[in-house]
Amino acid sequence: MAPMAYARFPFLSLLLLCCIGGLLAILCTPAAQTRRIKWISAVFSGLCLVLSAGLFIAYDQSAGGLQFVEKFPWVPSLGITWFNAADGFNLPMLLLTGIVFFTAVLTMWELETRVKEFFALTFLLVTGVFGLFMSLDLFFIFVWYDVSLFPMYLLIAVWGSTRKEYGAMKLTLYLLAGSALILPAILYLVVQAGLSTFDLTALMQPGTFTPYQEKFAFLLLYLGFGILAGVWPFHTWSPVGHVAAPTGVSMIHAGVLMKIGAFGVLRVGIFLCPAGWQHWAPLMALLATIGIVYGALVGLRQTDLKYVIGYSSVSHMGIVGLGLATVTVDGLNGAVFQMFAHGVMTALFFSAVGYIYDRTHTKAVAELGGLSRTMPVAAAFFIVAALTGIGVPCLASFWAELMVFIAAFRVYPLYGSLAVGALVVSALFILRVVQRTCYGPPNQRLTHLPDIPPLLGVPRVILVSVIVFFGLFPAFMVNMIQTATVAFFNGLP
Amino acid sequence: MNWTLLSPELFFLTAALVFLGISMSGRPDPERDYITAVVLGAVGLGICLACVPLRGDLFLGAYRVDLFSQTFKTLLAMGFFLIVCICNDLTGVAERHHPEFYLLLTASTLALMLLVSCVHLLPLYVALELSSYSLYVLVYLRVDLRQGIRAGLTYFLIGAAASAVMIFGLALLYGAAQSAYLADLMTALPGMLHQPMVAIGVLLALAGFFFKLAVFPFHFWAPDVYQGAPHQAAAYIATVSKVAAVAVLIRVAALTGGAGSFLTDALVALAIVSMTVGNLSALVQKDFKRLMAYSSIAQAGYVLIGILSMSSAGYGGAIFYALALLVMKVTCFLVLVAAAGGGRNMEIAGLAGLHRRSPILALALMMAVFSLAGIPPTIGFTGKFLVFKAAIAQGHVSLVLIAMINVVISLYFYLMVVRAAYLTEPQGPQPALLAPPLTRGLAYFLVALTVLAGIYPTPLIAWADAAARGLM
Repeated sequence: MAPMAYARFPFLSLLLLCCIGGLLAILCTPAAQTRRIKWISAVFSGLCLVLSAGLFIAYDQSAGGLQFVEKFPWVPSLGITWFNAADGFNLPMLLLTGIVFFTAVLTMWELETRVKEFFALTFLLVTGVFGLFMSLDLFFIFVWYDVSLFPMYLLIAVWGSTRKEYGAMKLTLYLLAGSALILPAILYLVVQAGLSTFDLTALMQPGTFTPYQEKFAFLLLYLGFGILAGVWPFHTWSPVGHVAAPTGVSMIHAGVLMKIGAFGVLRVGIFLCPAGWQHWAPLMALLATIGIVYGALVGLRQTDLKYVIGYSSVSHMGIVGLGLATVTVDGLNGAVFQMFAHGVMTALFFSAVGYIYDRTHTKAVAELGGLSRTMPVAAAFFIVAALTGIGVPCLASFWAELMVFIAAFRVYPLYGSLAVGALVVSALFILRVVQRTCYGPPNQRLTHLPDIPPLLGVPRVILVSVIVFFGLFPAFMVNMIQTATVAFFNGLP
Repeated sequence: MNWTLLSPELFFLTAALVFLGISMSGRPDPERDYITAVVLGAVGLGICLACVPLRGDLFLGAYRVDLFSQTFKTLLAMGFFLIVCICNDLTGVAERHHPEFYLLLTASTLALMLLVSCVHLLPLYVALELSSYSLYVLVYLRVDLRQGIRAGLTYFLIGAAASAVMIFGLALLYGAAQSAYLADLMTALPGMLHQPMVAIGVLLALAGFFFKLAVFPFHFWAPDVYQGAPHQAAAYIATVSKVAAVAVLIRVAALTGGAGSFLTDALVALAIVSMTVGNLSALVQKDFKRLMAYSSIAQAGYVLIGILSMSSAGYGGAIFYALALLVMKVTCFLVLVAAAGGGRNMEIAGLAGLHRRSPILALALMMAVFSLAGIPPTIGFTGKFLVFKAAIAQGHVSLVLIAMINVVISLYFYLMVVRAAYLTEPQGPQPALLAPPLTRGLAYFLVALTVLAGIYPTPLIAWADAAARGLM
């Protein structure tokens, strides 16, 4: 195939079609055939992973810019277009979604109750996530945002555990409160531009908006998307929701969904309102730093393993926020890399804890112990996730956090040192959790439990290898992100 | 005179006469009545669709057939057809009254069709009253007389008061403009809106339609009437009669030509209060139909946002929203009729285990309430998107923010419906719910329409915009 024809094939739409095809295939299968439903899910999510990885590799980094562009008019009278493209910002996110989706499906292999509905809703959710990451049309960004949120209510409330109905309701209301700020902001920008288009690339031309308009809209967008990114003080839905959700959903949720928030701030807020971004950056930095410190300190007091991860997510997403707030190339690089690294890391974390919980039926740190002897493989996955979480070199998170902190020290020395201090404290604590769960005398009640069987080991191995790969070769990711960030900064007025 | 212009109206007149004849036969046969009604409804919908391209003026210019009126007639016929389709379980009405029930339903639809075509104040008022009086009786027809009488009386008294207010407003307008033709009013009013008489006249004239649409402060009837009326009558009041109210509100609002800040401010206030009152009251409801009633009050507020934008985009959005309301509300009532059974009222908790008893009905209900909450990709989201965009284009940013906060509040009780249908398990065994094929087919159709109009609304938006532009 000639290179041009290859580039014109709508790969991004094909990716969405894989999700929708999987959804339809599941809906057409009788609910009793759970094995077949699981295989359909595995095949289609595997296809999604292959496609997203393929796009990541096929992207021409020397050319940069938007590639795999698909653009068709959708509602011409309103200026809505079906506009998807890949660049250095969204390719890492698409890859992350592919990885987490596939591994989450495999992680849920042992699910027994209402299997058909579970996988159908998961496919719907992931369709929204993929759509949001690839879209460059504000209307579709908003639509995909909501599509990725509303299946969460049922996914948590039906299949969840601890206080599931409360967690599900809280999460849904918080996140849709976010969308209540986003929609007016989007409409406001589109109307003020007077171009009668929802095309992001057309609206981001310098001079489209006045500084006042940018400041107003950016604040709404930052708060709206920020709720989903777990920005302090709007983060309270996140630990509760993570704890209540079933394992696979926690993985997708903490791994991918929270990134939608940060990505939305970047793609919509920062792209359209750079002046608003610069104006509000000090506020963003303050909230992000509070989030980092607060998440780390509250995490210290938790006795439930999933709450520990939940608060560490708040803390790690704070690092993304701090990176965005530096308004520098390095900060942006680090923020995007951290989104990817944290997504994979937290998916592994939830996946490992999920297995331990399924077998032991407890998430309390005090009741576990000596897991490295009773379930050595499960404990190993847990330990790798913990090490990634505290930023050990040669694992993906290390590079991301390093880049953010270097940028932050230059711009906000105080916040930077506070954040690093908080991370050191949390590292100590996470190590103590590891010590108390994986080492020490085993709980006699748990010694007979089986270790992870090979099939269930596959998703965890994939996640570990991704973490190690990008920890050893961070340039693969950084070079990709740089094709977008450098160009973006050069385009700023 | 070109009688083909009147084909939809003539057809529904004939249908009414058919039911009049059946009602005099004196032998109750629900099966026969139901099939007749469904067939007539389908033919009526077909005729309305065929008549969409017609244009013309009748009766000395008092009656106009244009794209706007024909669009709404199609919506009305579609609503009528959908409502008679869910009359398969019309146990809320005594069997011997079934022909009268259909007769009044048809007569009311005929009146609403006349209403959307009237461009003169006098026939406008007469058509409105004709439809109202059919509905007053329709509400009484409940088998359980106590409920029916209470609902009917509430509806009648508030309706009569609203009519009185409205005709006073019409008189003021006539006095100010010296003409009862809408076309004359349209040229005269924009320059006179600063006069208190004219501004108040417009507002009072709108009151009659606020009553139909259940906009604050004419909303008090809605919960009692929904609860007391037979399900199908409540469904008709919640959908078809609101569609017509939207049509006339748009026609009257278009008279002012977009001028008049007093009028806009008043409508903004009414929209905000309607949304807020409706959504906050809905939070504590236990009965499914009362919940629907309060949700209708809130939805009326959203429709008003499109109308108060006073632009062709806003009117187009309101027209689209009318279609959305029709689809969403009919779906809810379809599930209610099937799930409650025997024409009884149902608590929200009565939906327990619906996902197991009938997956398709549970899915339809979930899509309908998500659509009412305005979550994409559904028809309800597209409607909200259009009216909000029109409002922001006119500078009502804070109004849209308040509306979006209302959307979040409303999500709570809509999610409670989803929770009841999908999460809670019924006490005691509940048999599988085998809805008749027509109901199931309708449920699939409505779900498909809800989603399709959310994903690819382009042709419908184009149609609504064209209809709205014809008014300006």
